[in-house]
Amino acid sequence: MSDNNSNDNIILKVEGLKKVFGDHVVLENINTTVKKGEVIAIIGPSGCGKSTFLRSLNLLEKPTEGHIYFHGTDITDKNVNINKLREKIGMVFQHFNLFPNMTVKKNIMLAPVQLKLMSEEEANKKALELLERVGLSDKADTYPNMLSGGQKQRVAIARAMAMNPDVMLFDEPTSALDPEMVGEVLGIIKELAESGMTMLIVTHEMGFAKEVANRCMFFADTKIMEENTPKELFENPQTPRLQDFLSKVL
Amino acid sequence: MRKYMLAALCCIMSLFILTGCKSSVPENTVFSVDDLSGKKIGVQLGTTGDTLVSDYEEDGSGTVVERYNKGNDAILALKQGKIDAVVIDVQPAQSFVKTNSELMILNEEFVTEDYAMCISKNKPELKASINEALNVIKANGTLDKIIDNYIGENAGKTPYISPDGVKRNGTLVMATNAYFKPYEYYDNGKIVGIDADMAQAVADYLGMNLKIEDMEFDSIITAVQSGKADFGAAGMTVTAERLKNIDFSDTYTTSKQVVIVRDNDAIKNSGNVVEKFKNDFLTDNRYQFVLTGLKNTVLIAFCAALMGIVIGFVVAVIRSTHDKTGTLKIGNFICNLYLTIIRGTPTMVQLLIIYYVIFGSVSINKILVAILAFGINSGAYVAEIFRSGIMSIDNGQFEAASSLGLSYKKTFIYVILPQAFKNVLPALANEFIVLLKETSISGYIGLTDLTRGGDIIRSITYDAMLPLLVVALVYLVMVVILSALVKKLERRLRSNER
Repeated sequence: MSDNNSNDNIILKVEGLKKVFGDHVVLENINTTVKKGEVIAIIGPSGCGKSTFLRSLNLLEKPTEGHIYFHGTDITDKNVNINKLREKIGMVFQHFNLFPNMTVKKNIMLAPVQLKLMSEEEANKKALELLERVGLSDKADTYPNMLSGGQKQRVAIARAMAMNPDVMLFDEPTSALDPEMVGEVLGIIKELAESGMTMLIVTHEMGFAKEVANRCMFFADTKIMEENTPKELFENPQTPRLQDFLSKVL
Repeated sequence: MRKYMLAALCCIMSLFILTGCKSSVPENTVFSVDDLSGKKIGVQLGTTGDTLVSDYEEDGSGTVVERYNKGNDAILALKQGKIDAVVIDVQPAQSFVKTNSELMILNEEFVTEDYAMCISKNKPELKASINEALNVIKANGTLDKIIDNYIGENAGKTPYISPDGVKRNGTLVMATNAYFKPYEYYDNGKIVGIDADMAQAVADYLGMNLKIEDMEFDSIITAVQSGKADFGAAGMTVTAERLKNIDFSDTYTTSKQVVIVRDNDAIKNSGNVVEKFKNDFLTDNRYQFVLTGLKNTVLIAFCAALMGIVIGFVVAVIRSTHDKTGTLKIGNFICNLYLTIIRGTPTMVQLLIIYYVIFGSVSINKILVAILAFGINSGAYVAEIFRSGIMSIDNGQFEAASSLGLSYKKTFIYVILPQAFKNVLPALANEFIVLLKETSISGYIGLTDLTRGGDIIRSITYDAMLPLLVVALVYLVMVVILSALVKKLERRLRSNER
């Protein structure tokens, strides 16, 4: 077991994860491994626990049982400095969660500067670089509420990227967007995937999942019901549950 | 904002006019002590008159006893026709009638009584010293001279002057209620009168300094019991009821209770508004009472607001940290206890408890007491305002900051608080407006705040309208200025985001 954990290629390892809200079991006995460079799409009906799973990976949800190892460190251990580990696990939320009291640039610079990972100058440079990468160089000094949904999400991605994370978690990044803005955000994520970033994406965009991911997980009934390459999963579903789901969404 | 200010001014002006035109007071119907039954009788709360007249209340003829904190207020009510008669000690009655030509004293006296100083039961040595001093000033004629200086034909001719070369050691604190002419009253901002001079003579004999504290009549015994004052001298009669709680010195004079009524012949319109204004504010520089009061009110409100912000901030952070993370259980318990007690009891009671109980036997600046009381009180409300501001911030903000590796503390400082502060600013401003006006109860611990300043003028000139309206106007102006400043700040904070 410990041999696997120390393997450099394994970024995340989940063992026997269980999550209970009150007396409602959301997840039970989840086991999986995320290797460097993998792009994993997570799909499933709403309420199946796919978001909860993702949020457990950086401990925004505390697992009821089980262990999650990040680079071999058990993040569910009480004595572990979770803030330090979170620096390397980027997250992008459905509702962007930009800080409305700061400009776009300050949103991106806040964590690197406050955590003393970069000087003010370096962070500024990095922010401008990232903004250019997401195509928002001209918005550096505007406040978030002047941006469209798609622009906000692109800033949120830049903000997470500023920490140079080892893995990125996307929690339904396009669900809150108007249809015409979905494309611009998916474009950025795709570009990120192609650059070799390890990522897990909870999404309802089946076409996107198929195109970008190299592994696909189908969550249903508190567990990972099916897991395969996107091509296999979409074209050759094994379980009736997945067949039923795909017939509704495709 | 200017429009509202104008409207408020109009309201006050119309009040002026309304009061000026009001119809004359009803005719007097009390001509002897027997007529008192079934009437509205005014007394000073806690005085012998109060005790005596209370018997009428139960006689079944519908007698109503109105109890006022000051004799002056009773006289004012009598003048305005709110009550039919006032039962009060003879000497103050004489001075009231002297300054109010439309009042008169009934020839028939109500009852005779003895005046003495009250002293704590725990201080027999002090009682012995005071009695010794009283005996001396009685024997050498000093006391008679003092009384003659205030009552009778030779008034003002034999003022008491402290002998030279007295070696003074320590201070005697005297509690009184300075609205009882000629025993104690304000003259040019100083408390003077028979009791004041007599106490000075006693202090001179004992070789001590004298400090006179003005307070409500019914607080005097409490003040002496708690050690806030060494003795009370306020034309106080020895009664069985009072002897249960407090000791008395030997009698220093006797007095009578008499009945004051309106003089039907003499009732006439008294002065116009300009005359009244001159009398209320310009004569003897009486506006000084308002100025001193204003200064104290502003000082108390400002310092209490600062204190409230500090307390409120700490409590809000502890409580919302507990709500969000489940830590700080003990801190949260203490904060909840504080909030329950402070929000569950009236501010005035808190003020009195802090003054008479917590700092009961400590000599402490009254302004400091008021700042502490109002600061602690305001803190509870500010805490809940801050907390609601913090809780109103979307949980996604905490999650986003956490996901970047920011600690709870850093998240609070850089992300949550700036947003929360902006959200709560209007509620916070409202709390400070309430606080500013709430300081008007400072008078209960004998502190001259703005309201009390107006009260003192009213007690001197027997005019209720102008002092009250002026005080109201000053509060109004302060609140309008405060609101304007907050609005400016709000606009500046908001422009950051647009």
